[in-house]
Amino acid sequence: MSNERINIDKAAAVGNYLGLYFGQNQGVRLGESTVVSRKAHARMPERRIKGQIKILLNRDAGKTYLDFVDTDQVVHIDTYHRPGEIDPRDVARAIFTALDKHFLEKDPQLQYAEDERFKMVIEYTNKIFVTTSLGKGTVYELFQGNLRPYLEGEEGKDHVHVLARLNRDEYALVYVLVEAIEEVVLLSEVELGKVKNIIHGKQKQQEESFAGYLKLPWKKLRGQHATALPEKENVNQLILKLAEKFGGVEEIQDFMESYSTNIFKRKGIDQQKKKWGDVEHYVEELKELGVLKETPMGTVLTKQGLKLTDFIINHKCELETEIRRNMRKAPAGGTSRFKKMGKVENRSSQVEFTNRNKTINNRDGTWSGDLAVPETIIQAKKNSILRGDPGLTIKRSDLHYYEKKSYIPIDVCLVIDASGSMAGDKRQAACYLAEHLLLTGKEKVAVVTFQERSSRVVVPFTRNQQVLRKGLATISPAGLTPMADGIVTAVNLIQESRVRNPLMVLITDGVPNTPLWTLDAKVDALEAAAQIPEANIRFICIGVESNHLYLEKLAERAEGILYTVDDLNRDNLINIVRAEKKSMLKNNRA
Amino acid sequence: MMCMIPFSKLERYEGNEALFELVMMSIVSSYVGEPLHVHAEGLRGTGKTTIMRAARGILPDITRIKGCVYNCDPNAPHCPHHKDLSKEELEQIGVEDIPMPFLEISHSAKVGTVAGSIDIGKLTDTSKPEAKLLPGLIPQAHRGILFVDEINRLADTSPEITDILLDVMGNKPGHIQIEEAGLPVVEVKVSVSVWAASNPDEDPGPLEEIRRQLSDRFDMVCYMGRPDSVDILAQMLRENSHSYKIRQSKLNQLSASDEAANNAIRENIVKWAGQYEKTDLPDFLRNYIARLYIKHNLESIRAIEAMQQGAVLHSIIRGRDKVLINDVTDMIPLVLKHRVDGDSLVRMINDTDSRTVKDGILNFKSRKNKGKKDSEDEVDYFPNSARPVKEMNRSELINTEKTLTPKDM
Repeated sequence: MSNERINIDKAAAVGNYLGLYFGQNQGVRLGESTVVSRKAHARMPERRIKGQIKILLNRDAGKTYLDFVDTDQVVHIDTYHRPGEIDPRDVARAIFTALDKHFLEKDPQLQYAEDERFKMVIEYTNKIFVTTSLGKGTVYELFQGNLRPYLEGEEGKDHVHVLARLNRDEYALVYVLVEAIEEVVLLSEVELGKVKNIIHGKQKQQEESFAGYLKLPWKKLRGQHATALPEKENVNQLILKLAEKFGGVEEIQDFMESYSTNIFKRKGIDQQKKKWGDVEHYVEELKELGVLKETPMGTVLTKQGLKLTDFIINHKCELETEIRRNMRKAPAGGTSRFKKMGKVENRSSQVEFTNRNKTINNRDGTWSGDLAVPETIIQAKKNSILRGDPGLTIKRSDLHYYEKKSYIPIDVCLVIDASGSMAGDKRQAACYLAEHLLLTGKEKVAVVTFQERSSRVVVPFTRNQQVLRKGLATISPAGLTPMADGIVTAVNLIQESRVRNPLMVLITDGVPNTPLWTLDAKVDALEAAAQIPEANIRFICIGVESNHLYLEKLAERAEGILYTVDDLNRDNLINIVRAEKKSMLKNNRA
Repeated sequence: MMCMIPFSKLERYEGNEALFELVMMSIVSSYVGEPLHVHAEGLRGTGKTTIMRAARGILPDITRIKGCVYNCDPNAPHCPHHKDLSKEELEQIGVEDIPMPFLEISHSAKVGTVAGSIDIGKLTDTSKPEAKLLPGLIPQAHRGILFVDEINRLADTSPEITDILLDVMGNKPGHIQIEEAGLPVVEVKVSVSVWAASNPDEDPGPLEEIRRQLSDRFDMVCYMGRPDSVDILAQMLRENSHSYKIRQSKLNQLSASDEAANNAIRENIVKWAGQYEKTDLPDFLRNYIARLYIKHNLESIRAIEAMQQGAVLHSIIRGRDKVLINDVTDMIPLVLKHRVDGDSLVRMINDTDSRTVKDGILNFKSRKNKGKKDSEDEVDYFPNSARPVKEMNRSELINTEKTLTPKDM
């Protein structure tokens, strides 16, 4: 009897905790083998740490697995096990019995109302859905012996995947379910898998597979209209896809060269990764398209791959235009989340010019302005006739002026952290931002990087894309984070150059760890940041959430704004800088 | 300007062939009163403007009411002067043949010159000064072509003119309103094919970034390629050399043979126009286009209308009397490249062939590959075994990310 009581207490306690943590949008590890949340779960192969489970905050379990419209309707219970096979029918039976037993323990009176009890259990069995590597179905279906087949790639491969539609006051049942499931796993002579850690995060966007729909003309196509396909579009699109990843035509060539048969030009995968981030997906896709192939010598370009390279060389001009065109377009409407801290008010200088093509009549009653003489006379003549005046008369209402336009130029200096941790995708994102800024604005862009023990001007203020590209290609992240040095270099660069309304954008995924003047790197960087407002430079810092305490201090010293994101990706960077430029313009108008 | 190379003699190669066809298609279509708006995009010096301007030489004649600045069709007068006249009165004025209008909007254009403004001639008439409207370039280009070079710059610097173009190109035929303070507003319909050229790579960037609406108004966009054959380039150089031009201009501008070639095209255009009025798209192709719209979630109906119009015209100038599926598939990139992103475009193009390898099969293959990789990892993804909950204390049961993460991290 006491044992039963303990179980009910345990279940109630678990229920309370779940209610609490789910309310905070968190998941928990229940026991050692089970992860429970209202979200989808994933392994984290990218971290290369075994036994970790990621709770994907942006994927609601009900929506993801059961096509629910509302969120938070479904509790997702994953009990992980070591390799082995579990029959879902056994799980269903165990759950059935466990529920029955639980209701009975909770309310011993029910032993006299078997029908009632049975009805309660049946109701739940329709709300609980089980998948293992052997099949799936609701507990009710499985209990009846109806098994739907498990499909390759679905949830449930290495765990018992349970989705339960439970209300908040029913969360205590989760413990009952888990206890039952674990028992089945152990009875099936499979060990439970220990979940070492859980982490909350967002699902990274899956790399898109383009090999599925692109059709290269030199690949044999079947079908009656195959010859009618405009082949150029396919090749073009493939190259644009690659350019989006690697940065530009030259980088694609560089990447392709890594797979040439000339051993001196070949580059190892690690070296490629450092520069371009995750390339494996692209190698896989290109293999599928028949551009790369596996040989005893390693992966090399096929004949078609060589043709593709030729095409790139021959059509470089057109391709580069299209690549630039796509860059201007980015980001393609993707939403990004960032936090903004701090506020600045300062006026910027603006450039005014007169629009000779447009005249405006009688502007706000002042007499001042650039008088459009011909237009004024024509209007006066017309109006004299309409007014019935005997000759030409000019009235104040006839006066026309040329329109004035103004814009605020903002020259941007990017200060990019090039320490080792920025290698790969983050480096690519920062480079992309630089090019995007140059292509979409009328202003100059400069890039400063800091790494190891020093910093350097990678690209001085320029409007020339060639110069920018060449400079960006030299960025190769490695070493420590001498932030103070980077800031000082950037301040000097801005002061030496002729720039208008300079905006310094610091992009970093860390905190300073190499000092400049003293022995304390962090203090030095704060000291350096204090120079920024003195030089009349506007400052924003884009950093990652986990460092926000320090970066906030830094931004405060620089009298600037801190933006934190959970991922330094392309869309986030572009959206932040865009938002910042917009607010600069708005401030000025106000 | 005088010694411009005639249309028939311009070099044709893979990259610019589409534009030659589009130009002719648009003329045929304009001739029967259905505009086809064409936009040529490409790098500098790929001959966008040259080809479009040279088309002036092959324009057929149109008949209008004598002296009508609005180019009134004698059978359907539309301008404020002629629309209310009786048949007899119109007959009295008479008709005349003029070359199909080809007018250009330049960068110094103002709203007044484009739409219409006060007639300065009448205004300054010493004997009888009058305040009257003079139609601008667009109403004057009725039943003809309106050419806008560097349209991306115009859209950037003159949003007012862009608004007018939006109105004119919004429907077929379009509509324009001429306003002048103190005078009654004149509203006329205009049927003008707008031809535009731009370099998306130059400031201020591609048109669809500046004015998305305007870019969608163009039925077709042609991306120009550079010539890639030495022979063609050498020939181009020869025709552009100064001495060649001098020689040509001595031959009285256009030699007889060039004139004849242009005339031949002109006659063809008139013939094709007659055919165009009779040809219709077969039902199965029409359904096919409609399916494309549904399946690929196209936004703009204009796109599929243009696809239909283009497919029929394309088959006619190719000298066929039946529209084939190829005519439609050839139109897809021209009609959609400025309307959808590259991925969707390629999907649509490749979709035309239903019997090729299905995406699903490929996906399955790649999934299988991934599955294999997973199973390799899987064997020891959970290297340690866990205790069941049954054996655990109440306090051990629940762990969060915080309690599981080592403190020093």
